[in-house]
Amino acid sequence: MQGIKDFFSNIWAAIYDWILNDLEIRIDVIIDYFPLFMKGTLYTLGISISAIVIGCILGLFIAFGRLSPYSIIRLPFVWYITFFRGTPLLVQIFIIYLGVAPLFISGAGTTKAVISAIIALSLNSAAYLAEIYRAGIQSIDKGQIEAGRSLGMNKVQTMWYIVLPQSIKRMIPPFGNEFITLVKDSSLASAIAAPEILYWARAVNTRFFITWEPFILISLIYLFITLSLTYLLNYIERRWNIDDNR
Amino acid sequence: MITVNNLKKSFGDNEVLKDINLQVNPQEVVVIIGPSGSGKSTCLRCMNLLESVTEGEILIEGVNITDKNANINEIRTEVGMVFQQFNLFPHKSVLENITLAPIKVRKWSRQQAEEKALDLLEKVNLLEKANEYPNSLSGGQKQRVAIARALAMEPKIMLFDEPTSALDPEMVGEVLDVMKQLAKEGMTMVVVTHEMGFAREVGDRVIFMDEGYIVEENVPEKLFDFPSHERTKSFLSKIL
Repeated sequence: MQGIKDFFSNIWAAIYDWILNDLEIRIDVIIDYFPLFMKGTLYTLGISISAIVIGCILGLFIAFGRLSPYSIIRLPFVWYITFFRGTPLLVQIFIIYLGVAPLFISGAGTTKAVISAIIALSLNSAAYLAEIYRAGIQSIDKGQIEAGRSLGMNKVQTMWYIVLPQSIKRMIPPFGNEFITLVKDSSLASAIAAPEILYWARAVNTRFFITWEPFILISLIYLFITLSLTYLLNYIERRWNIDDNR
Repeated sequence: MITVNNLKKSFGDNEVLKDINLQVNPQEVVVIIGPSGSGKSTCLRCMNLLESVTEGEILIEGVNITDKNANINEIRTEVGMVFQQFNLFPHKSVLENITLAPIKVRKWSRQQAEEKALDLLEKVNLLEKANEYPNSLSGGQKQRVAIARALAMEPKIMLFDEPTSALDPEMVGEVLDVMKQLAKEGMTMVVVTHEMGFAREVGDRVIFMDEGYIVEENVPEKLFDFPSHERTKSFLSKIL
Protein backbone atom coordinates (compact mmCIF):
# COMPACT_ATOMS: atom_id res chain seq x y z
CA MET A 1 0.00 0.00 0.00
CA GLN A 2 2.71 2.41 1.00
CA GLY A 3 4.53 1.48 -2.19
CA ILE A 4 1.58 2.48 -4.39
CA LYS A 5 1.21 5.77 -2.51
CA ASP A 6 4.87 6.58 -3.01
CA PHE A 7 4.62 5.66 -6.66
CA PHE A 8 1.81 8.19 -7.27
CA SER A 9 3.37 10.96 -5.22
CA ASN A 10 6.57 10.51 -7.22
CA ILE A 11 4.62 10.87 -10.47
CA TRP A 12 2.90 14.02 -9.18
CA ALA A 13 6.24 15.48 -8.12
CA ALA A 14 7.61 14.79 -11.59
CA ILE A 15 4.62 16.48 -13.26
CA TYR A 16 4.90 19.54 -11.00
CA ASP A 17 8.60 19.71 -11.75
CA TRP A 18 7.93 19.48 -15.48
CA ILE A 19 5.26 22.19 -15.42
CA LEU A 20 7.22 24.62 -13.24
CA ASN A 21 10.74 24.15 -14.55
CA ASP A 22 10.78 22.53 -17.99
CA LEU A 23 7.65 24.31 -19.38
CA GLU A 24 8.80 27.55 -17.74
CA ILE A 25 5.35 28.79 -17.03
CA ARG A 26 5.57 32.54 -16.47
CA ILE A 27 3.13 32.89 -13.62
CA ASP A 28 4.87 36.13 -12.76
CA VAL A 29 3.85 37.76 -16.06
CA ILE A 30 0.26 36.68 -15.58
CA ILE A 31 0.30 38.10 -12.05
CA ASP A 32 1.83 41.37 -13.29
CA TYR A 33 -0.72 41.70 -16.04
CA PHE A 34 -3.66 40.39 -14.04
CA PRO A 35 -5.18 43.86 -13.42
CA LEU A 36 -5.07 44.55 -17.17
CA PHE A 37 -6.75 41.20 -17.93
CA MET A 38 -9.45 42.12 -15.41
CA LYS A 39 -9.88 45.50 -17.07
CA GLY A 40 -10.05 43.70 -20.42
CA THR A 41 -12.74 41.41 -19.02
CA LEU A 42 -14.75 44.48 -18.05
CA TYR A 43 -14.39 45.82 -21.60
CA THR A 44 -15.43 42.45 -23.06
CA LEU A 45 -18.46 42.38 -20.77
CA GLY A 46 -19.27 46.04 -21.42
CA ILE A 47 -19.07 45.68 -25.20
CA SER A 48 -21.09 42.44 -25.16
CA ILE A 49 -23.81 43.61 -22.80
CA SER A 50 -24.21 46.95 -24.62
CA ALA A 51 -24.46 45.14 -27.95
CA ILE A 52 -26.99 42.63 -26.53
CA VAL A 53 -29.23 45.40 -25.14
CA ILE A 54 -29.03 47.64 -28.23
CA GLY A 55 -29.30 44.63 -30.57
CA CYS A 56 -32.44 43.34 -28.80
CA ILE A 57 -34.22 46.71 -29.07
CA LEU A 58 -33.08 47.41 -32.63
CA GLY A 59 -33.79 43.81 -33.63
CA LEU A 60 -37.41 44.02 -32.47
CA PHE A 61 -37.86 47.20 -34.51
CA ILE A 62 -36.31 45.52 -37.58
CA ALA A 63 -38.46 42.42 -37.08
CA PHE A 64 -41.64 44.54 -37.17
CA GLY A 65 -40.40 46.29 -40.32
CA ARG A 66 -39.60 42.91 -41.83
CA LEU A 67 -43.14 41.71 -40.99
CA SER A 68 -44.85 44.70 -42.60
CA PRO A 69 -47.46 43.74 -45.20
CA TYR A 70 -46.27 46.62 -47.40
CA SER A 71 -43.28 45.72 -49.55
CA ILE A 72 -42.05 49.35 -49.64
CA ILE A 73 -41.58 49.29 -45.86
CA ARG A 74 -40.44 45.68 -45.79
CA LEU A 75 -37.71 45.86 -48.43
CA PRO A 76 -35.19 48.12 -46.63
CA PHE A 77 -35.34 45.81 -43.62
CA VAL A 78 -34.84 42.76 -45.83
CA TRP A 79 -31.76 44.43 -47.33
CA TYR A 80 -30.47 45.34 -43.88
CA ILE A 81 -30.72 41.74 -42.70
CA THR A 82 -29.20 40.45 -45.94
CA PHE A 83 -26.22 42.80 -45.66
CA PHE A 84 -25.40 42.23 -41.99
CA ARG A 85 -25.83 38.46 -42.21
CA GLY A 86 -24.08 38.15 -45.55
CA THR A 87 -20.83 40.03 -44.87
CA PRO A 88 -18.11 39.22 -42.31
CA LEU A 89 -18.42 40.90 -38.93
CA LEU A 90 -14.74 41.83 -39.05
CA VAL A 91 -15.34 43.74 -42.29
CA GLN A 92 -18.30 45.52 -40.68
CA ILE A 93 -16.11 46.45 -37.70
CA PHE A 94 -13.48 47.96 -40.01
CA ILE A 95 -16.08 49.87 -42.05
CA ILE A 96 -17.52 51.41 -38.90
CA TYR A 97 -14.15 52.09 -37.22
CA LEU A 98 -12.38 53.45 -40.30
CA GLY A 99 -15.31 54.83 -42.28
CA VAL A 100 -18.21 55.83 -40.06
CA ALA A 101 -16.71 56.62 -36.65
CA PRO A 102 -14.19 59.29 -37.91
CA LEU A 103 -17.19 61.37 -39.03
CA PHE A 104 -18.28 61.72 -35.41
CA ILE A 105 -15.22 61.06 -33.22
CA SER A 106 -11.79 62.56 -33.96
CA GLY A 107 -8.47 60.92 -33.08
CA ALA A 108 -7.73 57.25 -32.61
CA GLY A 109 -8.39 56.75 -28.90
CA THR A 110 -9.75 53.81 -27.01
CA THR A 111 -13.19 55.42 -26.84
CA LYS A 112 -13.50 55.43 -30.62
CA ALA A 113 -12.50 51.77 -30.87
CA VAL A 114 -14.86 50.66 -28.11
CA ILE A 115 -17.79 52.66 -29.48
CA SER A 116 -17.13 51.35 -33.00
CA ALA A 117 -17.07 47.80 -31.68
CA ILE A 118 -20.34 48.28 -29.79
CA ILE A 119 -22.02 49.80 -32.87
CA ALA A 120 -20.80 47.08 -35.24
CA LEU A 121 -21.77 44.24 -32.88
CA SER A 122 -25.18 45.83 -32.17
CA LEU A 123 -26.02 46.31 -35.84
CA ASN A 124 -24.83 42.80 -36.66
CA SER A 125 -26.63 41.02 -33.83
CA ALA A 126 -29.79 43.07 -34.50
CA ALA A 127 -30.01 41.38 -37.91
CA TYR A 128 -29.81 37.90 -36.38
CA LEU A 129 -32.08 38.76 -33.44
CA ALA A 130 -34.66 40.25 -35.83
CA GLU A 131 -34.96 36.89 -37.56
CA ILE A 132 -35.37 35.16 -34.18
CA TYR A 133 -38.11 37.62 -33.21
CA ARG A 134 -39.80 37.12 -36.57
CA ALA A 135 -39.74 33.32 -36.31
CA GLY A 136 -41.09 33.55 -32.74
CA ILE A 137 -43.89 35.94 -33.67
CA GLN A 138 -44.89 33.92 -36.73
CA SER A 139 -44.96 30.70 -34.73
CA ILE A 140 -47.96 31.92 -32.73
CA ASP A 141 -51.30 30.56 -33.94
CA LYS A 142 -53.26 33.06 -36.05
CA GLY A 143 -56.32 32.35 -33.93
CA GLN A 144 -54.64 34.15 -31.01
CA ILE A 145 -54.40 37.34 -33.05
CA GLU A 146 -57.99 36.95 -34.27
CA ALA A 147 -59.22 36.46 -30.70
CA GLY A 148 -57.43 39.63 -29.59
CA ARG A 149 -58.66 41.69 -32.51
CA SER A 150 -62.22 40.39 -32.17
CA LEU A 151 -62.24 41.72 -28.60
CA GLY A 152 -61.55 45.20 -29.94
CA MET A 153 -57.82 45.31 -29.21
CA ASN A 154 -55.76 47.11 -31.82
CA LYS A 155 -52.71 45.62 -33.54
CA VAL A 156 -50.23 46.99 -31.00
CA GLN A 157 -52.23 45.80 -27.98
CA THR A 158 -52.67 42.36 -29.52
CA MET A 159 -48.94 42.13 -30.23
CA TRP A 160 -47.93 43.38 -26.78
CA TYR A 161 -50.36 41.52 -24.51
CA ILE A 162 -50.98 38.35 -26.49
CA VAL A 163 -48.41 37.49 -29.17
CA LEU A 164 -45.09 38.64 -27.63
CA PRO A 165 -45.54 37.10 -24.16
CA GLN A 166 -46.23 33.73 -25.78
CA SER A 167 -43.47 33.93 -28.38
CA ILE A 168 -40.69 35.10 -26.03
CA LYS A 169 -40.63 31.69 -24.39
CA ARG A 170 -39.92 30.10 -27.76
CA MET A 171 -37.26 32.72 -28.51
CA ILE A 172 -35.15 32.09 -25.39
CA PRO A 173 -33.04 29.14 -26.69
CA PRO A 174 -32.07 30.82 -30.02
CA PHE A 175 -31.48 34.11 -28.15
CA GLY A 176 -29.06 32.25 -25.87
CA ASN A 177 -27.12 30.97 -28.89
CA GLU A 178 -26.93 34.47 -30.31
CA PHE A 179 -25.77 36.02 -27.03
CA ILE A 180 -22.98 33.44 -26.66
CA THR A 181 -21.87 34.01 -30.25
CA LEU A 182 -21.88 37.73 -29.56
CA VAL A 183 -19.66 37.45 -26.47
CA LYS A 184 -17.14 35.41 -28.44
CA ASP A 185 -17.32 37.71 -31.47
CA SER A 186 -16.50 40.68 -29.26
CA SER A 187 -12.91 39.36 -29.47
CA LEU A 188 -12.82 40.69 -33.05
CA ALA A 189 -12.71 44.17 -31.52
CA SER A 190 -9.05 43.51 -30.71
CA ALA A 191 -8.39 44.08 -34.43
CA ILE A 192 -9.19 47.78 -33.94
CA ALA A 193 -7.28 47.94 -30.63
CA ALA A 194 -10.27 47.99 -28.33
CA PRO A 195 -8.65 46.92 -25.03
CA GLU A 196 -10.77 43.80 -24.38
CA ILE A 197 -9.21 40.51 -23.23
CA LEU A 198 -7.93 39.18 -26.56
CA TYR A 199 -6.13 42.51 -27.03
CA TRP A 200 -4.25 41.99 -23.73
CA ALA A 201 -3.47 38.36 -24.50
CA ARG A 202 -1.87 39.42 -27.78
CA ALA A 203 -0.01 42.22 -26.02
CA VAL A 204 1.50 39.78 -23.50
CA ASN A 205 2.20 37.28 -26.29
CA THR A 206 4.21 39.74 -28.41
CA ARG A 207 6.04 41.34 -25.49
CA PHE A 208 7.18 38.21 -23.62
CA PHE A 209 7.01 35.59 -26.40
CA ILE A 210 4.78 33.36 -24.29
CA THR A 211 1.72 31.76 -25.82
CA TRP A 212 0.03 29.26 -23.50
CA GLU A 213 -0.29 31.42 -20.43
CA PRO A 214 -2.26 34.37 -21.86
CA PHE A 215 -4.38 32.37 -24.29
CA ILE A 216 -5.31 29.63 -21.81
CA LEU A 217 -6.15 32.36 -19.30
CA ILE A 218 -8.47 34.25 -21.65
CA SER A 219 -10.03 30.99 -22.86
CA LEU A 220 -10.95 30.29 -19.25
CA ILE A 221 -12.37 33.79 -18.88
CA TYR A 222 -14.49 33.36 -22.05
CA LEU A 223 -15.66 29.96 -20.81
CA PHE A 224 -16.61 31.47 -17.47
CA ILE A 225 -18.69 34.19 -19.17
CA THR A 226 -20.43 31.89 -21.67
CA LEU A 227 -21.14 29.19 -19.08
CA SER A 228 -22.63 31.80 -16.72
CA LEU A 229 -24.77 33.06 -19.59
CA THR A 230 -25.92 29.52 -20.43
CA TYR A 231 -26.81 28.91 -16.80
CA LEU A 232 -28.73 32.19 -16.60
CA LEU A 233 -30.72 31.48 -19.78
CA ASN A 234 -31.51 27.92 -18.69
CA TYR A 235 -32.82 29.37 -15.44
CA ILE A 236 -35.00 31.90 -17.26
CA GLU A 237 -36.31 29.22 -19.62
CA ARG A 238 -37.23 26.97 -16.71
CA ARG A 239 -39.05 29.82 -15.00
CA TRP A 240 -41.10 30.57 -18.12
CA ASN A 241 -42.00 26.89 -18.53
CA ILE A 242 -43.11 26.66 -14.92
CA ASP A 243 -45.23 29.77 -15.45
CA ASP A 244 -46.91 28.14 -18.42
CA ASN A 245 -47.91 24.98 -16.58
CA ARG A 246 -49.45 26.66 -13.57
CA MET B 1 -79.06 45.34 -36.50
CA ILE B 2 -76.85 43.71 -39.14
CA THR B 3 -77.51 44.32 -42.81
CA VAL B 4 -75.42 42.63 -45.47
CA ASN B 5 -75.82 43.96 -49.01
CA ASN B 6 -74.41 42.23 -52.11
CA LEU B 7 -71.44 40.83 -50.17
CA LYS B 8 -68.77 39.17 -52.29
CA LYS B 9 -65.54 37.64 -51.10
CA SER B 10 -62.73 36.08 -53.10
CA PHE B 11 -59.53 34.39 -52.03
CA GLY B 12 -57.41 34.97 -55.13
CA ASP B 13 -59.39 33.54 -58.04
CA ASN B 14 -61.59 31.51 -55.75
CA GLU B 15 -64.91 33.28 -55.19
CA VAL B 16 -66.19 32.03 -51.82
CA LEU B 17 -69.13 34.37 -51.33
CA LYS B 18 -71.23 35.32 -54.34
CA ASP B 19 -73.76 38.02 -53.62
CA ILE B 20 -74.91 37.53 -50.04
CA ASN B 21 -77.85 39.59 -48.77
CA LEU B 22 -79.13 39.15 -45.28
CA GLN B 23 -80.63 40.98 -42.37
CA VAL B 24 -80.39 40.25 -38.66
CA ASN B 25 -82.92 41.98 -36.42
CA PRO B 26 -82.38 42.92 -32.76
CA GLN B 27 -82.77 40.00 -30.33
CA GLU B 28 -82.97 37.56 -33.21
CA VAL B 29 -81.08 34.27 -33.31
CA VAL B 30 -80.04 33.48 -36.87
CA VAL B 31 -78.50 30.07 -37.54
CA ILE B 32 -76.45 29.50 -40.67
CA ILE B 33 -76.14 25.91 -41.88
CA GLY B 34 -74.66 24.35 -44.99
CA PRO B 35 -72.04 21.90 -46.25
CA SER B 36 -68.38 22.60 -45.60
CA GLY B 37 -66.93 24.98 -48.15
CA SER B 38 -70.29 26.71 -48.59
CA GLY B 39 -68.85 29.99 -47.27
CA LYS B 40 -70.85 30.15 -44.05
CA SER B 41 -67.82 30.68 -41.78
CA THR B 42 -66.33 33.23 -44.18
CA CYS B 43 -69.65 35.10 -44.19
CA LEU B 44 -69.65 35.20 -40.39
CA ARG B 45 -66.00 36.30 -40.22
CA CYS B 46 -66.75 39.16 -42.61
CA MET B 47 -69.27 40.50 -40.09
CA ASN B 48 -66.45 41.69 -37.83
CA LEU B 49 -63.92 42.07 -40.62
CA LEU B 50 -61.70 39.16 -39.68
CA GLU B 51 -61.91 38.69 -43.44
CA SER B 52 -61.66 41.69 -45.70
CA VAL B 53 -64.65 42.23 -47.95
CA THR B 54 -64.07 42.11 -51.71
CA GLU B 55 -67.32 43.79 -52.73
CA GLY B 56 -70.57 44.93 -51.16
CA GLU B 57 -71.29 46.44 -47.76
CA ILE B 58 -72.04 45.36 -44.21
CA LEU B 59 -73.91 47.68 -41.86
CA ILE B 60 -73.85 47.12 -38.12
CA GLU B 61 -76.35 49.32 -36.30
CA GLY B 62 -76.35 51.59 -39.32
CA VAL B 63 -72.55 51.95 -39.43
CA ASN B 64 -70.96 50.79 -42.67
CA ILE B 65 -68.04 48.68 -41.41
CA THR B 66 -66.71 48.10 -44.92
CA ASP B 67 -66.10 51.84 -45.27
CA LYS B 68 -62.36 52.64 -45.24
CA ASN B 69 -62.84 55.28 -42.53
CA ALA B 70 -64.81 53.02 -40.20
CA ASN B 71 -63.20 52.57 -36.77
CA ILE B 72 -62.98 48.81 -36.85
CA ASN B 73 -61.66 48.43 -33.30
CA GLU B 74 -64.64 50.31 -31.91
CA ILE B 75 -67.10 48.28 -34.00
CA ARG B 76 -65.52 45.02 -32.81
CA THR B 77 -66.15 45.96 -29.17
CA GLU B 78 -69.87 45.74 -29.98
CA VAL B 79 -69.58 42.38 -31.77
CA GLY B 80 -68.43 39.39 -29.70
CA MET B 81 -66.95 36.38 -31.45
CA VAL B 82 -66.62 32.75 -30.35
CA PHE B 83 -64.30 30.50 -32.35
CA GLN B 84 -64.29 26.80 -33.15
CA GLN B 85 -60.81 26.43 -31.66
CA PHE B 86 -61.65 28.56 -28.55
CA ASN B 87 -58.47 30.65 -28.97
CA LEU B 88 -58.09 31.27 -25.24
CA PHE B 89 -54.84 32.99 -24.25
CA PRO B 90 -52.75 30.14 -22.78
CA HIS B 91 -50.39 32.45 -20.86
CA LYS B 92 -53.22 34.05 -18.90
CA SER B 93 -55.50 32.62 -16.21
CA VAL B 94 -59.20 32.20 -16.89
CA LEU B 95 -59.91 35.42 -15.00
CA GLU B 96 -57.19 37.33 -16.88
CA ASN B 97 -58.49 36.01 -20.20
CA ILE B 98 -61.83 37.62 -19.43
CA THR B 99 -60.60 40.88 -17.89
CA LEU B 100 -57.85 41.70 -20.42
CA ALA B 101 -59.97 43.41 -23.07
CA PRO B 102 -62.33 45.28 -20.72
CA ILE B 103 -59.29 46.74 -18.90
CA LYS B 104 -57.22 47.56 -21.99
CA VAL B 105 -59.98 48.52 -24.44
CA ARG B 106 -62.94 49.62 -22.31
CA LYS B 107 -60.53 51.17 -19.77
CA TRP B 108 -62.39 49.67 -16.84
CA SER B 109 -60.67 49.44 -13.46
CA ARG B 110 -59.28 46.02 -12.56
CA GLN B 111 -61.84 45.69 -9.79
CA GLN B 112 -64.77 46.51 -12.05
CA ALA B 113 -63.51 44.09 -14.73
CA GLU B 114 -62.99 41.30 -12.19
CA GLU B 115 -66.46 41.72 -10.72
CA LYS B 116 -67.94 41.47 -14.20
CA ALA B 117 -65.74 38.45 -15.00
CA LEU B 118 -66.79 36.61 -11.83
CA ASP B 119 -70.45 37.30 -12.62
CA LEU B 120 -69.98 35.83 -16.08
CA LEU B 121 -68.05 32.82 -14.77
CA GLU B 122 -70.92 32.12 -12.41
CA LYS B 123 -73.28 32.35 -15.35
CA VAL B 124 -71.30 29.76 -17.36
CA ASN B 125 -70.86 27.61 -14.21
CA LEU B 126 -67.09 27.92 -13.98
CA LEU B 127 -66.62 30.17 -10.96
CA GLU B 128 -64.27 27.64 -9.33
CA LYS B 129 -61.95 27.74 -12.36
CA ALA B 130 -61.23 31.48 -12.19
CA ASN B 131 -57.57 31.07 -11.28
CA GLU B 132 -56.84 28.01 -13.42
CA TYR B 133 -55.02 28.19 -16.73
CA PRO B 134 -56.71 27.21 -20.02
CA ASN B 135 -54.48 24.12 -20.43
CA SER B 136 -56.09 22.53 -17.38
CA LEU B 137 -59.65 22.90 -18.73
CA SER B 138 -61.69 20.49 -20.85
CA GLY B 139 -62.87 21.55 -24.31
CA GLY B 140 -66.36 22.35 -23.11
CA GLN B 141 -65.01 24.43 -20.22
CA LYS B 142 -62.65 26.29 -22.57
CA GLN B 143 -65.50 27.20 -24.88
CA ARG B 144 -67.63 28.43 -21.99
CA VAL B 145 -64.73 30.62 -20.84
CA ALA B 146 -64.42 31.91 -24.42
CA ILE B 147 -68.11 32.84 -24.39
CA ALA B 148 -67.67 34.62 -21.04
CA ARG B 149 -64.63 36.43 -22.44
CA ALA B 150 -66.63 37.73 -25.41
CA LEU B 151 -69.57 38.72 -23.17
CA ALA B 152 -67.29 40.70 -20.83
CA MET B 153 -67.09 43.45 -23.46
CA GLU B 154 -70.89 43.74 -23.22
CA PRO B 155 -71.39 43.31 -26.96
CA LYS B 156 -74.70 43.95 -28.67
CA ILE B 157 -74.22 41.07 -31.10
CA MET B 158 -72.58 37.66 -30.64
CA LEU B 159 -71.13 35.66 -33.53
CA PHE B 160 -70.51 31.92 -33.07
CA ASP B 161 -68.27 30.15 -35.58
CA GLU B 162 -68.98 26.42 -35.21
CA PRO B 163 -68.62 26.66 -31.41
CA THR B 164 -69.17 22.94 -30.76
CA SER B 165 -67.38 21.36 -33.74
CA ALA B 166 -64.07 20.83 -31.92
CA LEU B 167 -65.70 19.33 -28.83
CA ASP B 168 -66.06 15.76 -27.66
CA PRO B 169 -69.74 14.78 -28.03
CA GLU B 170 -70.44 14.68 -24.31
CA MET B 171 -69.33 18.32 -23.94
CA VAL B 172 -71.51 19.77 -26.69
CA GLY B 173 -74.53 20.03 -24.43
CA GLU B 174 -72.96 22.24 -21.77
CA VAL B 175 -71.90 24.80 -24.41
CA LEU B 176 -75.27 24.75 -26.17
CA ASP B 177 -76.99 25.27 -22.81
CA VAL B 178 -75.04 28.47 -22.24
CA MET B 179 -75.95 29.65 -25.75
CA LYS B 180 -79.64 28.82 -25.20
CA GLN B 181 -79.60 30.81 -21.98
CA LEU B 182 -78.01 33.73 -23.82
CA ALA B 183 -80.69 33.58 -26.54
CA LYS B 184 -83.40 33.54 -23.89
CA GLU B 185 -81.97 36.73 -22.40
CA GLY B 186 -82.46 38.46 -25.72
CA MET B 187 -78.95 38.53 -27.16
CA THR B 188 -78.74 39.06 -30.90
CA MET B 189 -76.87 36.03 -32.21
CA VAL B 190 -75.57 34.70 -35.50
CA VAL B 191 -74.54 31.05 -35.19
CA VAL B 192 -72.76 28.91 -37.76
CA THR B 193 -73.27 25.31 -36.66
CA HIS B 194 -73.89 21.72 -37.58
CA GLU B 195 -76.12 21.22 -34.52
CA MET B 196 -79.52 20.94 -36.19
CA GLY B 197 -81.27 20.31 -32.89
CA PHE B 198 -79.98 23.63 -31.59
CA ALA B 199 -80.99 25.38 -34.85
CA ARG B 200 -84.50 24.04 -34.58
CA GLU B 201 -84.94 24.75 -30.89
CA VAL B 202 -83.26 28.13 -30.51
CA GLY B 203 -83.09 29.63 -33.98
CA ASP B 204 -85.63 32.27 -34.95
CA ARG B 205 -84.52 31.88 -38.53
CA VAL B 206 -82.32 29.37 -40.34
CA ILE B 207 -80.24 30.21 -43.40
CA PHE B 208 -79.04 27.45 -45.70
CA MET B 209 -75.91 28.35 -47.66
CA ASP B 210 -74.29 26.43 -50.51
CA GLU B 211 -71.45 27.33 -52.88
CA GLY B 212 -71.33 30.95 -51.80
CA TYR B 213 -75.05 31.68 -52.10
CA ILE B 214 -77.90 31.82 -49.63
CA VAL B 215 -80.09 29.10 -51.09
CA GLU B 216 -82.98 29.32 -48.68
CA GLU B 217 -83.95 30.99 -45.42
CA ASN B 218 -86.96 30.42 -43.27
CA VAL B 219 -88.19 29.77 -39.74
CA PRO B 220 -86.69 26.45 -38.56
CA GLU B 221 -89.93 24.41 -38.63
CA LYS B 222 -90.51 25.25 -42.28
CA LEU B 223 -86.90 24.97 -43.43
CA PHE B 224 -86.32 21.62 -41.75
CA ASP B 225 -89.72 20.03 -42.41
CA PHE B 226 -90.66 21.57 -45.75
CA PRO B 227 -87.50 22.63 -47.56
CA SER B 228 -88.37 24.17 -50.91
CA HIS B 229 -85.06 23.76 -52.77
CA GLU B 230 -83.54 20.53 -54.06
CA ARG B 231 -80.11 21.35 -52.58
CA THR B 232 -81.59 22.02 -49.15
CA LYS B 233 -83.47 18.74 -49.34
CA SER B 234 -80.42 16.71 -50.30
CA PHE B 235 -78.28 18.38 -47.59
CA LEU B 236 -80.86 17.79 -44.90
CA SER B 237 -81.44 14.19 -46.01
CA LYS B 238 -77.74 13.50 -45.51
CA ILE B 239 -77.46 14.91 -42.01
CA LEU B 240 -80.83 14.34 -40.37
